[in-house]
Amino acid sequence: MSRKLWSGVVGVAVALAVGGLIMLLQGYEPVSAYGALFQLSLAGAGPLATTLKNSVPLILTGLSASVAFASGPINLGQPGQLVFGALAATLVGIYLPLPAGLAVPLLLAAGIAGGALWSGVAAFLRQAFGMSEFIVTLMLNMIADFFTAWAIAYPFMDRKAFSPMTLPIAGGGWMPDLGPLSASVLVMLAAAAIVWFVFRRWRAGYEWRMTGQNSVFARLGGCDIDRNFWAIMLVTGALAGLAGALVVMGGPHRFIKGLGANYAWDGIMIAIMANNGILGTIVYGVFIAAIQTGALGMELITNVPSEIAQVLEAVLVLVIVATREYANVFLDRMAARRQAKGRSA
Amino acid sequence: MNVLIGLITGMISGATPILLAALGGALTFYAGVFNIAMEGMMLMAAFFAVLGSFLFHSWLAGLAFAILGSLALAAIFIFFSVKLKTDEFVTGIALNLFALGTTTYLLRQIFKVKGVFTSKAIVPVPAIHIPYVENIPFLGPIVSGRNLIVYLAALATIACTYLVFRTRYGLRLRAAGYNAASLDSSGVLASRIRTQSLLACAVLCGLGGAFLSLGYVTLFAENMTAGRGWISLAAVILVDGHPVGIAIISLLFGFFDGLGLFLQNYRVAPQFTAMVPYIATLAALYVYARRGRGRRGMKL
Repeated sequence: MSRKLWSGVVGVAVALAVGGLIMLLQGYEPVSAYGALFQLSLAGAGPLATTLKNSVPLILTGLSASVAFASGPINLGQPGQLVFGALAATLVGIYLPLPAGLAVPLLLAAGIAGGALWSGVAAFLRQAFGMSEFIVTLMLNMIADFFTAWAIAYPFMDRKAFSPMTLPIAGGGWMPDLGPLSASVLVMLAAAAIVWFVFRRWRAGYEWRMTGQNSVFARLGGCDIDRNFWAIMLVTGALAGLAGALVVMGGPHRFIKGLGANYAWDGIMIAIMANNGILGTIVYGVFIAAIQTGALGMELITNVPSEIAQVLEAVLVLVIVATREYANVFLDRMAARRQAKGRSA
Repeated sequence: MNVLIGLITGMISGATPILLAALGGALTFYAGVFNIAMEGMMLMAAFFAVLGSFLFHSWLAGLAFAILGSLALAAIFIFFSVKLKTDEFVTGIALNLFALGTTTYLLRQIFKVKGVFTSKAIVPVPAIHIPYVENIPFLGPIVSGRNLIVYLAALATIACTYLVFRTRYGLRLRAAGYNAASLDSSGVLASRIRTQSLLACAVLCGLGGAFLSLGYVTLFAENMTAGRGWISLAAVILVDGHPVGIAIISLLFGFFDGLGLFLQNYRVAPQFTAMVPYIATLAALYVYARRGRGRRGMKL
C-alpha cells in the first residue's frame, strides 16, 4: 500500500510538473493556472460537489475496466456499453412516466440492462466463436456510437430541437439533488461498495481474481472459467451502462449528441492508473474529475484552453504507470542491498 | 462502367490508410512488440500533415511534418515500453489518448477552432497521372490518377514483403519476436530491433495519417482516424502479419468503406452505412476464429 501511495504521489507530481512545463512553453503562468484549476474544483462545497458529480461516470466506467482487467477479460467496450445504457434509460424515462420513487430505480435498472446487453454481445461472440473480446469490444464501440447517433436522429428525435437529441425524460426520472450534492454520487458509492464486496469478499470475486492472475490455476482449482467470463462481462457492462443512465438522469435529462464524450476512455485510463484497484479507481476518478472540472474554469480565468486537461491526463497515466513499475524495480533493488548488508554485518 | 470504376477507386482510397498502418503494425508484430498505438500515430500524423502543409504551403512539408509527428509518438512509446519496460498495452492505450488530447488541444491552440479545421492554404498531396497508362480503357482511370500516397502504399507492401522474408534484417526482425533471448545471445540486441521496428511503423503510420488529412480530404477533424488504427490492428492479427495478406484484407475493408458511401445513394441512413467497415471487421474476425482455432495469435 505504501509503495502504491508513493508511486502515485511521485507520478502525480511529475505529471503536474510536465503539464506546467507545457504551459510555460506556451507562455502561460503554470502556478496561477494550477491555482485556478484546483480552486475551482476542490475549494468549497459547491466546486467539490460539482467535481464529485462529474466523477460519477469516470469512476463507474473505471470500476468496470478495473474489474475486467483484474479478472482477465480485456473489456474495452465501456464507451459502447455506456451509450447503450444511456439510451435504454432515456427510452424508459420518456415512455414510462412514473413517480420518482419508482422511476429512478427503474431507469437505473434499464441502464444496467442496456450496458449488460451490449457487453453480452461481445461475451457471446467470444464464447460461441472464440473471437477475441479485445478487438470485438472496440468494434462494438464504433457500432454503438453510430447506432445511438441514428436512434436520436431518426426514430426518437425531438422534432423541435436544432441538433439530434431525444425528448426529455419524465420528471420522475431526474436524479434529485441533496443540498449541493447530486444523488448520483450516492448511487455511484453504493455501486462501488457492492463491487468491492463482491470482488474482495465473495467467492465469485475470489474466483474472478484468481482467473485473472492465473487462469490455469483457477481452472484446475475448480472454477467454471466460461461462466465466470460471462459473469465478468455482464457485470462490467452493467457498470458502464449504469454510468450512462446516471449521465442522462443527472445531466441533460435526455440523450443528446455526443453524450458519451470521453467518459469511458477516461475510466479505462483511471483503471490503469489505479492498477485495477477499487479504492484507487475512486481516488484517481475524483482527481481526474477535479482536473476536468477545474480546467473549464481555468480557461475563463487564465486563457489556458481547457483541452489541456486531456493532455495532462495522458501524461498522468504514462508517468504513474512508469513510476510504479520503475519504483518496484528500484525498491526491490534497495531491499536486496539492505538484506545483503544485514547478512555481511 | 463508371460506377464500377468509382467503386474500385473508392476501395483503393479506403484501403490506403489501413494498409499503411497495418504494414507498420506488421513490422512491430514480427519484432514482438504488442503495438496498439497505430491509431494515435495516424491521428498525430493527420494533424501535423495539415499543420505543415498550412504553414509552408507545400504538401512535402505536410508529409515531413506528418512523419515527424508520428515519430514523436513512437519516441514516447520507445522511451516508456522499451527503455522503462512499461506494459505495452497500457502504454499504447495511454498514447492513443495522448494523441487525441494533444491534437484537440493544438487544434484549439494553433488554429483557434474546435472540431474541424480547413483552409484554402492547405495544399493536398497531388494525384499522379501516369502518361500513356491513363489512356488504357477501364484500367487506365484506376491505375493512373491516384494519390501519390496510394502508390507509396503499394511500394511499401512490396518493400515490407522483401524486407521481412528476403533480407538478413528481416530474419533478425522475426527473431526478435520469435525468440528475443537467442537473438540477444547472437550479438544483436532485440531491444534495438524493436526500437527500429517502432520507428518504421511510425513512418508508415505517418504516411497513412497524411493520406487521411491531405489525400482523402483536405482538412483536419478531431479524432478523424475513427478507429482505422484499430481496424489495421485487426488486419495484422487476421493474417499473422503477412504483408500481402494485409494488402488483401485492407482492400476488402476499403471495399466495405466504399460500399458504405455507395449505399447512401439508396436512402440508407448514413449512421448505418458508416457502421459497415466495423461490421466487416467483426465478420473477418469471425472467419479467422473459425479457421484458426487454437492457432498462435497475438498474446491476447
